[in-house]
Amino acid sequence: MDTGIRLALTLSQIGAVMVAVLLTVAALTLLERKVLGWMQDRMGPMEVGPYGILQPVADGLKLFFKEDIIPAGANKFMFSMAPVLSLVPALIGFAVIPFGPDWTVDVGGVNFKPFVITDINIGVLYILAFASIGAYGIILGGWSSNSKYSLLGGLRSAAQLISYELNVGLSLVGVLLLSSSLSLVTITNAQAGGFWNWYFFGGGGFPQAVAFVVFIISAVAETNRTPFDLPEAESELVAGFFTEYSGMRFAFFFLAEYGNMILVSCVATVLFFGGWHPPYPGTLMEYIGLGHLIWLEGIMWFVLKVAFFLFLFFWLRATLPRLRYDQLMRFGWKVLLPIALGNIVLTSIVAYLFPGN
Amino acid sequence: MKLKEWVKTLLFYEIALGMKATLSHFLHYKPITLQYPHEKKPLPPNYRGMLALLRYDDGTEKCVGCDLCEAACPSRVIRVVSAEVPGEPTKRYSKEYYMDMTRCLFCGLCVKACPVDALGMTQEYEWAVYDKRQLQLNKQQLLAIGDRNFPVREKRLEFQHPNVAYFNVGFKEIPQKEQ
Repeated sequence: MDTGIRLALTLSQIGAVMVAVLLTVAALTLLERKVLGWMQDRMGPMEVGPYGILQPVADGLKLFFKEDIIPAGANKFMFSMAPVLSLVPALIGFAVIPFGPDWTVDVGGVNFKPFVITDINIGVLYILAFASIGAYGIILGGWSSNSKYSLLGGLRSAAQLISYELNVGLSLVGVLLLSSSLSLVTITNAQAGGFWNWYFFGGGGFPQAVAFVVFIISAVAETNRTPFDLPEAESELVAGFFTEYSGMRFAFFFLAEYGNMILVSCVATVLFFGGWHPPYPGTLMEYIGLGHLIWLEGIMWFVLKVAFFLFLFFWLRATLPRLRYDQLMRFGWKVLLPIALGNIVLTSIVAYLFPGN
Repeated sequence: MKLKEWVKTLLFYEIALGMKATLSHFLHYKPITLQYPHEKKPLPPNYRGMLALLRYDDGTEKCVGCDLCEAACPSRVIRVVSAEVPGEPTKRYSKEYYMDMTRCLFCGLCVKACPVDALGMTQEYEWAVYDKRQLQLNKQQLLAIGDRNFPVREKRLEFQHPNVAYFNVGFKEIPQKEQ
């Protein structure tokens, strides 16, 4: 009986998070074009619906009804597996993201956490591991297409992901040292009580601002976004690793890219910007006498922070040109890696000298 | 100076500058584009658009079949088949008149070359077609373009007008407009 209730609760939770993520992806496809347009003195999509707000629906329908082409000479199994391999890791990472207060509710004798799907004690590691699996989708998609552009895109992406995943991992070590936990829920709880407790501003003793800059640069590179979008560089490689993809398979890659963007924004929010904690001590809802709506305030702050990072992605795309490939590699290995390592050394010294701070 | 450069690099000064520029455009959003099929840019009055053959106010064609436009055209767009007006050996008109608009570069030299102002350039520019053979226009089509773009026509020239006197001596049986 307990198992049944737990299963039903978890499944409904997963469903809710999935729907929220996919709706956000749909909104992002439109918002990205709109924001880019506004920044470039254009209007963005305006045809479908008032001010183009139905554009994601039109895009989705178009992709759904497009012909599904498998190129001649392609490895059919790998070709159909690659989009799934790319999409699943992008969506599965949301399982450990806490998006609301760390409450435990008792539903029919089952302890249930409504605002995080599962609080495993290796959450950060789990996200990093699945982000690495996502790279397989891109590489295999590029390789199995039997096309030179796809192959080049896949190879570029392989090199880029390996270089920059290292920096993502190392930039998070500072936060992990200070919080002495890999669980995202514990890390969030350690940042409660005002923005000065967030790890970005120096919660835990040592500000992780440098680590955050390294993280956000590497994250942009890892999600293959401009200015690090070499795997899908339109002007050189047609569309990079998904040149040969069409229809729903292409849509899967697209969903994966945007899903990764949201995931990376969530991770940045949770690790450096206090997750769902508001930037002031206590909660505003209690001041105005709506104590039962604290969770709503938490979720609102989480969504706001994530939205800011997503906007940052668009903003960077509108501003920066693409790097050259040797610049990309040199920047990753010779600049970001030493900075990340130096941050770890400094943070561990501080964490050793002032423990429990 | 070296230190200043270093500080700038460390603080992402150039990137911040660029992002400030994009953000200011985002905040002061004022699109400079037009929603083309719904909004159209006003054209200047001397816009050189689609070519057209013109008529006088009584519906007679202006063209006298002199072939000067054909000679003036740098891209060999125009082909004129000139003929005598039946029964009036002193008078000529264009029996057939073809324009291959796929080659036209809209220089307007044919319009300048015409001694009787029989050619005009309209404001039409939406001439994208699915079959490029649809751009090979004959005389009837060119006259129709002229009719719909110049509803107010020029008065017929005087008999004594030097151009008319030179090119067209009589006016008894000039081809009427086909209804």
